[in-house]
Amino acid sequence: MRKVALVGAGVTKFGVRKATYRDLIWEAGKACFDSVPSVKPRDLEGLVVGSVMPERTAFQSHISSLAAEALGITPSALSARTEHMCASGTVGIRYAYAFIAAGLADLVMVLGVEKLNQPVADEAILNMGTGVDRDWEACYGLTAPPCFALAAQKHMAQYGTTEEQLGLVGVKNHAHASKNPNAHFQKGVTLEQVMGSRMIASPLRLFMCSPITDGAAAVILASEERARDLTDRPVWIRGTGQALDGFTLTSLHEDYAHWPAMKRASQSAYRMASIGPADVDLAEVHDCFAIAEIIAYEELGFCQKGEGGPFVATGRSDYGGDVVVNPRGGLMGCGHPLGATGVAQAAEVYAQLRGEAGPRQVADAAIGLTHNNSGMGEHVVMIYGRETAS
Amino acid sequence: MSYFRATDPFPLESADQNKLHEFYEYLAANRLVTTACRHCRRLSWPPRGFCPECVSDEIEWVDLPHEGTVHGFSVQETGVPAGFQAPVCFAIVKVGGLRIFGPILGADPATLRVGATVRFDPIRVADDSRGGARHLVAFRSAASDA
Repeated sequence: MRKVALVGAGVTKFGVRKATYRDLIWEAGKACFDSVPSVKPRDLEGLVVGSVMPERTAFQSHISSLAAEALGITPSALSARTEHMCASGTVGIRYAYAFIAAGLADLVMVLGVEKLNQPVADEAILNMGTGVDRDWEACYGLTAPPCFALAAQKHMAQYGTTEEQLGLVGVKNHAHASKNPNAHFQKGVTLEQVMGSRMIASPLRLFMCSPITDGAAAVILASEERARDLTDRPVWIRGTGQALDGFTLTSLHEDYAHWPAMKRASQSAYRMASIGPADVDLAEVHDCFAIAEIIAYEELGFCQKGEGGPFVATGRSDYGGDVVVNPRGGLMGCGHPLGATGVAQAAEVYAQLRGEAGPRQVADAAIGLTHNNSGMGEHVVMIYGRETAS
Repeated sequence: MSYFRATDPFPLESADQNKLHEFYEYLAANRLVTTACRHCRRLSWPPRGFCPECVSDEIEWVDLPHEGTVHGFSVQETGVPAGFQAPVCFAIVKVGGLRIFGPILGADPATLRVGATVRFDPIRVADDSRGGARHLVAFRSAASDA
């Protein structure tokens, strides 16, 4: 397989945006092209668009062609949309990676975009239910919060994890987001604010949850030869893994705090990258809810099973700790425009490994990991390196 | 033309729309059933069109007990979708060795516990576009039967 690198990245402002679906595509595309001035839209051979529910939020399908035309790209090797709920962006990156690694393309953009906010707020939440099995779960009004609440309850009962430890994930990620001008939330929150915020699904309070957010992000992937032509600091894809346990809640492991698919996905990626968890300098993990980040520490191997609560409470997932988790501000601080999230995670790693992350810079970052999930049983992991594998 | 919102989150249950329509017909008759494979006897939840073990599509409907135990539950207090009312007690209930998802009706979150006994109590939801009745699985705290 050929080596593949990121050579450009751009992200829109995330938030409740006064912008259409197409506006967001334009913004992310423009920001990405601006990051690599030697690449023009006509140079790209392919486009993959990660997007979950434009059929409902913008009454629009046929997304990859719409985006290609909006961006001035005329694909000659690859044009596709990826939909894998909250992991759609990273799944798109894997497709582009595989095409380039296989020699079927040399230069491909992956763009993630979602326009979730609607004029009627509870319709936006109804739309989120399309990611849950309609016939057997969503028909009761189930969306993500009660599912992750089950995991949190189990983790607390089994390992003594506290509500305060869940709250500290929110405090950390909102603090990181305050240094990210593209984040949905930039004011930071105190532990008191988190613990006093309204209950969504016990024990998860508002500031332990990611919000409904609009946004888009784009990255450009290149073959080794093109990458070395385009930049002196490519960010190499070193490993990738994906694994699923199941789709419906009742098909997952009976211990809702145990997410074996995440461990399998990360082990595939570590093996491919020839590294281990201790080598990771920064990790962009899928903190859709605080409990997800705590379980991610464990399943990704940053700490032992059950130690995720103390891991955040003692600062081991923050600057100066073992690994900086969610320097971008995570989904809780940046917001979670579904298809855009995985691509924005990659864009953060791109900036960090090039030393361009400004006030968020992780000192001497050489290895970055991204983790994107689409439910508690479906996980995708990418590992990026400043250096190509030896 | 006024504002249009399409909000039917319920399954299409009728025989002309759904090959598993018998499930809903049993439900309307207050029976909780699922599919069993005639060849390997594998029991599935949710019901399925063919057996993932032996790939046979010869399935039959078998009755499940009406009593189950709460395996996990979560009360959502705010942020439910359009058309639904909070709070909702979402639960996973162990019924005859299977885990079944559904709401617990009349649950008191202060006293409900994992391991509590609940009883099958199907609910009627919005009719389909032609006025056909639709039902879903639900449970009720056994304690609230009295």
